Amino acid sequence: MLRAIGKRDRDIFEEVWPDKRRIVLKLLRQDTVSQREWQDLFFGVHFVCLWDEKGAAKIYDCLQQDIVEFIVQAQSQVQAQRGEQALLATYIVEWRKFFTQSNYLPLPFRQLEQSPQVKPSSSGSSSSASVSASGASTSAAAAAATSSCSGQAGKSGASTSATAGASTSAAAAAASTSASTSSAAAAAVASGSGSTSSSTSTSKKNPTEDSPVRKLMLDSWNKHIFHDIKHRLQESAMKIVHAERNGDAYDAQLVVGVRESYVNLSSNAEDKLEIYRENFEMAYLKATAEFYRLKSAEQQQENGVLAYMKYADLKLREEEVRAKRYLEPSSFNILFYTLVKVLIVDHLNSIIAECPALIRDYETERLNLMFRLMDRVMHGVGVEAMMGDLQRHIMSAGLADMLSASEVITQDSEKYVERLLELFNKFSDLVRNAFNDDPRFLTARDIAFKTVVNDTSVFKMELPTSIANRGVKYTAPESKCPELLANYCDMLLRRTPLSKRLTSEQIDARLRDVLLVLKYVNNKDVFMRYHKVHLTRRLILGTSADSEKEEDIVEWLREVGMPADYVNRLARMFQDIKVSEDLNTQFRTSISRHDAINIKILNAGAWARCSERVSVSLPIELEDYIPDVEEFYKKKHSGRKLQWYHHMSNGTITFVNNFGRYDLDVTTFQMAVLFAWNQRQHDKISYENLRLATELPDPELRRTLWSLVAFPKIKKQILLMEPVAISSPKDFAENTMFYINQEFAIVKNGKSQRRGKLNLIGRLQLSTERSQQEDNQSIVQLRILRTQEAIIKIMKVRKRMNNAALQGELIDILKNMFLPSKKMIKEQLEWLIENKYMRRDDDDINMFIYVA
Amino acid sequence: MKVTIKSWTGVATWRWIANDENCGICRMSFESTCPECALPGDDCPLVWGVCSHCFHMHCIVKWLNLQPLNKQCPMCRQSWKFNVH
Repeated sequence: MLRAIGKRDRDIFEEVWPDKRRIVLKLLRQDTVSQREWQDLFFGVHFVCLWDEKGAAKIYDCLQQDIVEFIVQAQSQVQAQRGEQALLATYIVEWRKFFTQSNYLPLPFRQLEQSPQVKPSSSGSSSSASVSASGASTSAAAAAATSSCSGQAGKSGASTSATAGASTSAAAAAASTSASTSSAAAAAVASGSGSTSSSTSTSKKNPTEDSPVRKLMLDSWNKHIFHDIKHRLQESAMKIVHAERNGDAYDAQLVVGVRESYVNLSSNAEDKLEIYRENFEMAYLKATAEFYRLKSAEQQQENGVLAYMKYADLKLREEEVRAKRYLEPSSFNILFYTLVKVLIVDHLNSIIAECPALIRDYETERLNLMFRLMDRVMHGVGVEAMMGDLQRHIMSAGLADMLSASEVITQDSEKYVERLLELFNKFSDLVRNAFNDDPRFLTARDIAFKTVVNDTSVFKMELPTSIANRGVKYTAPESKCPELLANYCDMLLRRTPLSKRLTSEQIDARLRDVLLVLKYVNNKDVFMRYHKVHLTRRLILGTSADSEKEEDIVEWLREVGMPADYVNRLARMFQDIKVSEDLNTQFRTSISRHDAINIKILNAGAWARCSERVSVSLPIELEDYIPDVEEFYKKKHSGRKLQWYHHMSNGTITFVNNFGRYDLDVTTFQMAVLFAWNQRQHDKISYENLRLATELPDPELRRTLWSLVAFPKIKKQILLMEPVAISSPKDFAENTMFYINQEFAIVKNGKSQRRGKLNLIGRLQLSTERSQQEDNQSIVQLRILRTQEAIIKIMKVRKRMNNAALQGELIDILKNMFLPSKKMIKEQLEWLIENKYMRRDDDDINMFIYVA
Repeated sequence: MKVTIKSWTGVATWRWIANDENCGICRMSFESTCPECALPGDDCPLVWGVCSHCFHMHCIVKWLNLQPLNKQCPMCRQSWKFNVH
């Protein structure tokens, strides 16, 4: 050392370096380097830098020269190869060797990092990074250079060469010594070089990464060899991929190797994939697009669109696997985008054109394939087109199906609902199997179902077209579906042949189905009304098949979003019936002789709106009971008075004639009429006298008499009349005579029975003659009120609101009852403005303002 | 021929017997409910005072709660007592 100081004036670099340079060349060639030589290199670099002011720059220049020389040699070797595979193979071998060196050749040159003379020419980022890294690394380098600890240099050499797979003598020597070293500096180097060995790619931070020497090596490689042959490299690699796509033999490792060299070659710390992306990725995308552009056109022409879909699907999957092999993960998205464009988007129209036919033929597998292809297309253009096709198909097929069966299903709500459900299930299956229940297709299905259910071409329910009240002039005809649904419900819940045939579970399932269809019905208020009417009948007549189910369905209706006040009223009806049962028990114990009497006391607000009360002269026996009941009730509930609704009252009578003895279920009106003969069994009584005897109003008497002379589906009627040829209750005249049919008998299987039970009630009249039309009118009336109520409710909160927003909220509030028509909303808005509930903004005619 | 009644089910509704049409507090008809309720009948009962005035139960209870000292009938100013039959 002293000698070196003494020679200070002389060129220290010239003296020391030639010796060290040999070691550098050995390293580059991957020749065996002894532990001592490795240490000497550290020492030499340190020494030159320390004693020669320009030493660092000199070393750098010299090093550069050597590296370039080495690279040129390598290049000539690679260029000499003719065949693609050989070219790639040679390149990869050379590159790997070189890259390995780039990981540990920089180690001895750490000292250069500190030198201001050796600022790498290009990026500033690497130099600033090297400053921050130098704190830890220089101490290690310095320690190594002074050779105070021989083990650590050997250690770092060992781990890098182990990576390269080339065992140098230094490595062999180090293996034994490294274990004994324990200084802090050694630990720092060990951990540093440890990370070097763990990653040959650039993914992890390694200590040599920011080194100017490493950068020098990579840049030189890039400049001298890579730049010249990268096109040949890419082309060769793409030819291999091409061959692979065509199913020929290939060596995938070659492509992978090239890719790796592209990735590792980058010395840009901020964007490590720059070179890879600009060259390899681009070439790969271009080659892929070109390959499939040709192939896809060819495939489609040769095999047709359906086979082509299979091809595209297969290729997409294949390319997915291939991409994982050949590309960096960052390229996957852009590759798939390119593939989808070439394989699907470019053929979108011809593929979509097949969709309607596939839906028509229920080709679920192919549809599923098409859906999967289309689902890859951005912005859902293809999927939307398929949704449109599905929607159109369900609508037209559904309506056509309904129309073709219209004769049967308009007569029979059971058949109608079953047909409808069959249709729904069919299309739901389609959506599940072909489109995996994708929410977008479920929506399309629902829209189509709505159209089918609310269509008016098969069923029409006329709502009255003229109500003077509140400005409604016209209402559109509506689908009869809600009414039929309610009828079907009734058949399931009442004791009918249908409900007897089915098990409890089957009935439950069908009721659920009804609710499913109900979901699509616009005007649920119609269903509610009919359901309530049916329920009223079942409860009054006690004809429910299963009272538990009755209450279940009320809860289900609540679950599917029926308005709470409606559901509460239904629940109230059940409560009334239960309370009445208790009342009956108490009544019977209080007065022993009234075993036969039942009373049902209803809350006026909860039940189907009863029309005006009808007077009737009751049979004497009943007339006697009435005051007892009223007295009893008064004692139970003070401040209340009973009001009888005899058109709903009913009972069972025993009818005895010469032929036999029969139990007849009859309405109270029928009872009153039949009792007119009790004192004069064989008389013929005129219509007029019957009216006097029963005190029934004319329409009720006519209807009641008609039910006794012409009850449907029985062979022998209980009453006969004169003249016989009367075809409707309207034709009864004042002097039409009625008399008891002494031959009356219940006929079963063509044989008259002596005993038996017969129901003459049929459909219990809940209201008087006029009210069918009144009923429909009241639906409209109620809608008007609900609409007004909802508008006021919204405006009260919002104060100011424009027309579009108001309509939106309005429909949202009312959708569980009915779908208000634009026209009706407009009329009601006008009415409310006229009556000063709200006004229009002076400046904006579409803006409404709430008036308190 | 002979007709006899075996059983009979009479259907009736009931109404309040009040000496007024409307509730003196909320001015709503006794046939309908107090302003808080939706369903007339058992859910919104009427009550009578010993002074024989009658109100929706919800209405009079609310009224009485607003009178800190003398609980009086709002109609006749006599002190209010429920008439329990």
